[in-house]
Amino acid sequence: MSPDLEFEKLVNLYYRDLYRFGLSLTASDADAADLTQETFYIWANKGHQLKNPGTVKGWLFTTLHREFLKTCRHRKRLADEPIEEGAMSLPDAASDCVNRIDSQTLLHLLREIDEDFRAPLVLYYLEDLSYKEIADVLAIPLGTVQSRIARAKIQLLRRLTETDRPQMQRK
Amino acid sequence: MNTEQAKEILLLYRGSIDDGVPQFHEALAHARGDPELAQWLREQISCYNAIRSKLLEPDPPTDLSERIIRHRPIPFRRDWTQILKIAAAVILSASITSVGFRLSERKKHSIAQGQEILVKGEVLDMTCYIAYNLSGPEHAKCARICIRNGLPVGIRSKDGKIYLLTGKPGHSVNAELADYAAKIVTIRGKETMRDGFAQLQVEEIRKF
Repeated sequence: MSPDLEFEKLVNLYYRDLYRFGLSLTASDADAADLTQETFYIWANKGHQLKNPGTVKGWLFTTLHREFLKTCRHRKRLADEPIEEGAMSLPDAASDCVNRIDSQTLLHLLREIDEDFRAPLVLYYLEDLSYKEIADVLAIPLGTVQSRIARAKIQLLRRLTETDRPQMQRK
Repeated sequence: MNTEQAKEILLLYRGSIDDGVPQFHEALAHARGDPELAQWLREQISCYNAIRSKLLEPDPPTDLSERIIRHRPIPFRRDWTQILKIAAAVILSASITSVGFRLSERKKHSIAQGQEILVKGEVLDMTCYIAYNLSGPEHAKCARICIRNGLPVGIRSKDGKIYLLTGKPGHSVNAELADYAAKIVTIRGKETMRDGFAQLQVEEIRKF
């Protein structure tokens, strides 16, 4: 297969997943499209250096995440700040709340979670990746990945129920 | 393991995708014997699926894949074999060019060191001759003025060949030749050639 066809095949295979990953990180259509495009641009220049073809998907997600982090450099890093007392208590399941909101609201709630916690959480929800694969994509230890997902999930569920409460009161 | 500990572990459980992960096994076994925990777990999985579905809803812009493919850069892949081949070709080409250039220069040099010759012909005001085809006795007065004023001076031999007349480096011959404008003279000098243009470095002027 020619390199052009290989590239097109790869784009058609992964651009939706990458776009949704970018959208969940940025909550912005334009930023997600830019991140996706930039990721494939980098692939076109450097992809041939990848030794193991089986890791293409992980490479693409890692690259998109890295590009996303570059755009966040100027922001205040909150990742290592302790979560407030009591925040780790498990929230009630919130599937009803989720069903009542639209995807745009969910994206904005995700946006409120610190980016270091958001990326593992998004991969946890969006992609059928194991925790080890998520750790590889984000280049962080497995234990850190699980810890961040758990904390971020609790934050998200808490925000979901808080967002849903006024709607329930109006009803 | 109590129910709260099981919940903390099962908070990350996504359903069948995580069935092979050993850390969930004990907590899942606990849930099978605890109806309340089992109900909580079903809710957690249902919530996971609901969030996943919401996140999968947005579709990318319709032209995104086309944009990506269209703006694909042409990669420069460092194939060292190819690079060495290109480098060898460049060196070979440069060597051939260099040898050719030296041969050409040698040829030019031999002309530059040309023999002393005698040229008999009419002294020309080159500017008027080339620009307006003016020469001969009718143009003698104008030619004399132009040559005296420093404009290029030449000679047209009997066979029609034109030479630019020059003095030795740094010396003008215009003053000597102005009086011979449009007249027939014989000039002894060294012939040189540059880009098809003939030059005669004047040694001696003989009125014929």
